Amino acid sequence: MQLRPNRVKEKIYAGEVAVSVVGFTHPDDIDTFGPIANANGIDAVWLEGEHAGVDHANLGNLTRACDLWGLTPVVRINENSQGLIYRTLDCGAQAIAVPHVNTAEEAQNVVLGGKFPPIGRRGNYASRQGHGIPNYMELADDHSLLIVFIEDIIAYQNLDEILEVEHIDIFFVAPGDFAASMGHKGIWDQVANIPEVAQTMEDTFRRIQAAGKIAGATCGKAGLQRYLDLGAKFFLTTTQEWLNDGAESFMSIVKNH
Amino acid sequence: MQLRPNRAKDKLAAGEVAIVVGGMSDPDAIDAFGPIAAANDIAGMWLEGEHAGVDASTLGNLTRACDLWGISPVVRINENSQGLIYRTLDCGAQGIVVPHVNNAAEARNVVDGGKFPPIGKRGAYTSRQGHGVANYMNVADDYSLLVILIEDIIAYQNLDEILEVDQIDVFFVAPSDFAASMGHTGDINHPEVVETMNDAFRRIEAAGRNSGATCGQGDAERYLDLGAKFLLTSIGPWLAAGAASFSDFVNNHSR
Repeated sequence: MQLRPNRVKEKIYAGEVAVSVVGFTHPDDIDTFGPIANANGIDAVWLEGEHAGVDHANLGNLTRACDLWGLTPVVRINENSQGLIYRTLDCGAQAIAVPHVNTAEEAQNVVLGGKFPPIGRRGNYASRQGHGIPNYMELADDHSLLIVFIEDIIAYQNLDEILEVEHIDIFFVAPGDFAASMGHKGIWDQVANIPEVAQTMEDTFRRIQAAGKIAGATCGKAGLQRYLDLGAKFFLTTTQEWLNDGAESFMSIVKNH
Repeated sequence: MQLRPNRAKDKLAAGEVAIVVGGMSDPDAIDAFGPIAAANDIAGMWLEGEHAGVDASTLGNLTRACDLWGISPVVRINENSQGLIYRTLDCGAQGIVVPHVNNAAEARNVVDGGKFPPIGKRGAYTSRQGHGVANYMNVADDYSLLVILIEDIIAYQNLDEILEVDQIDVFFVAPSDFAASMGHTGDINHPEVVETMNDAFRRIEAAGRNSGATCGQGDAERYLDLGAKFLLTSIGPWLAAGAASFSDFVNNHSR
């Protein structure tokens, strides 16, 4: 028996763009979305545990719904804690996103929690993704995906040292907190266009790419070209825009009839 | 995209014995059991909703855990209700078990709830097992497994007419209620109960239908000899045997 492929990891290291979608909070909804995701080449479901209700009690069910459709379950956790990182992997996540990683040491902490010895210090357990895989511990590190959030101006200032940390797969540049840390609070896709913020973020993307690393970005359709041009290979987008577009389009038929 | 195979139904169609395991109530536990089931050719997982907590709100997660390992989720419901039968299928069950089916009309009610028109009256909906399957309504009836429990003496008396109902895959003869309905509550080994049940198994086989039985290692041979093709077994005795064996080892250890 083989370990389940990590679709995002395979894509980004093949030089392709990987897309994750946020907005689903129930396993039945992910399952229903499965054929739509497959038909449209979507790679991953983003499970939100920094701000929303994803936790260990519901991760098994949420990630199984992803497994059924070959979608990579990406879980954003809410603390850079080694224990939290590996428990989240053990419950079924194939990828971990850690917010507010501001130094090389903090990035290294993500690796320590996310990889088994000798690379890190991930605790040994029969992980859910490892059921039926006798050599899980040997293979797991190659299949797990680690994402750190570059979303504070201090992380930008420390970017060179952060980019030197091995085993971080994606350096995700997030506009909302980035702008806030620069004194510009507001809606994330608006503050991303404030010149000072935009310029700093763009420089971040360029330096990630120049270092031979992979950048991640969050955007809707409107921002996509910008981040693709900046070399981003991993995208987070939300179902809210699709729901809004769909609702508008449906209601326009009703209203204009 | 193809509909997921129904392993238990496929086994029966091939004339093989389908083993269904009862006793797991959490999706993570089913998932952890997956490789053991696969290694031991277990065909189905019995999800208990006649007596225990399996309901529509838990079925999605429970049946997805089964899907991951190719194990048929077989759900026992607690009423012979067409709406309950098809909602249970819609939530992800591949097999439905209906208790206390006592005459042909009641057996046909199971078919009416379990099959789409023109066979039955199952309501049309985007069933969970149908996600991504464009022709789900055309193929679903060939994949769903209907099991009825023959577990009252009145069902035994009406057995001939019940056995004439098409689309029922398994006629499951259950001992405890059977014995109770004969006035032998708690005494499933009473000779009268044993003889009546044995006769039920023989008549099911003689009618060319599949019978089902519940058993452990101790009585599996009896039901296999009676031609049963669908066997429900519980993890309870496996846990008890494992615990006893481990405990014995600890207690007998000397240094």
